[in-house]
Amino acid sequence: MQLVKDFVNGLWNENPIFRMVIGICSALAVTTAAKNGIAMGLALTFVLTCSSILVSLLRNIIPSKVRIPCYIIVVASFTTIVDLVMKAYFPALYQVMGIFIPLIVVNCIVLARAEAFASKVNVLRATADALGMGLGYAWAITVISMVRELLGNGTLFDIPVFGQNFTQWVIMLLPPGAFIVMGILVGLMNLITRKSSNNDGCHNC
Amino acid sequence: MNQPVKMVVVLMVIALVAGALLAFTYQATYPKIQQQAKEALEKSVLKVIPGAEKMEEVQKDGMTFYIGMDNQGNKKGIAFKAVGSGFSGPIEIMVGYNPKEGKLTGIEILSMSETPGLGAKIKEPSFTDQFRGKSVKDEFVPKKDIKVITGATISPTAVAKAIKSTLEEVTKIYPVGGDF
Repeated sequence: MQLVKDFVNGLWNENPIFRMVIGICSALAVTTAAKNGIAMGLALTFVLTCSSILVSLLRNIIPSKVRIPCYIIVVASFTTIVDLVMKAYFPALYQVMGIFIPLIVVNCIVLARAEAFASKVNVLRATADALGMGLGYAWAITVISMVRELLGNGTLFDIPVFGQNFTQWVIMLLPPGAFIVMGILVGLMNLITRKSSNNDGCHNC
Repeated sequence: MNQPVKMVVVLMVIALVAGALLAFTYQATYPKIQQQAKEALEKSVLKVIPGAEKMEEVQKDGMTFYIGMDNQGNKKGIAFKAVGSGFSGPIEIMVGYNPKEGKLTGIEILSMSETPGLGAKIKEPSFTDQFRGKSVKDEFVPKKDIKVITGATISPTAVAKAIKSTLEEVTKIYPVGGDF
């Protein structure tokens, strides 16, 4: 039960993008096409899960004074592995994601979950939390990128949705569009859960 | 074990293991990454030289050329890279050229970071196709003999400029009408 709770937590209640609003740099930058959103989400989920498991396993060994460098080494290693594997097997995707894959190292979600959660609980709970947070991030940025692709380019997963006469909302593909879409979605999310913005927020980071 | 020693040892062990793991991954993916890069290059060369089935890399006067040949070994044209500075970063272009006729045989955008939906349209055939058949003597001026993209002027201009200036260098090495 606890595991389910840990998992669902990241998907909704403490969704990194829509609730805690952390790690949004990549979420704003790569979300110009739906497939980028999914790829970035999965890459982050992989790094987050692997590093959370390792941090949780090592939680009694790592002295607290050097914990941050240890976490960073762990996170950076997994990120580099994703980077190299993507370059070798998905070159087209790698070209699109560019700098944002290496930048997972400094994505604040990864370090925040290692520090606030994984380092304090057993491996199973850490895994459940990491998967929830990672997939929470993934669905959030996929939704953002679907809206942006649909309005900005008239396509969804590269498939044209509107007719020939569709005028692109170019602003949706530019950085301001990312902020606008995200702002509206955060607002919708708050409306659905009927929580005022004072009651939620960043409990753990 | 006392605290300072433990700190050093733990950090060192983690760093060592991480280093080893990365070295291993790098080794394992290196051949594949090289192969991908080579395949991508070859694909673009064959695309910009019509009729070419294979290619050969040659260095001439400090420039790198890719000679495109058909299966019998007949030379079909040459290709070279041109780099322009676009709206948000360098634009790398593969240019196919036939020195005998002094005409371009095609171009392909290799890499760019232009605005998606605007400048990024330089990648699309509707933009790149217009360069096929262009002569060395053409001006390569946007809105004059180069069609531009609505909402983006900088990216097409950068492409046209890069091709024109690199082509001028190339004609010094491979004069128009000469052999290649």
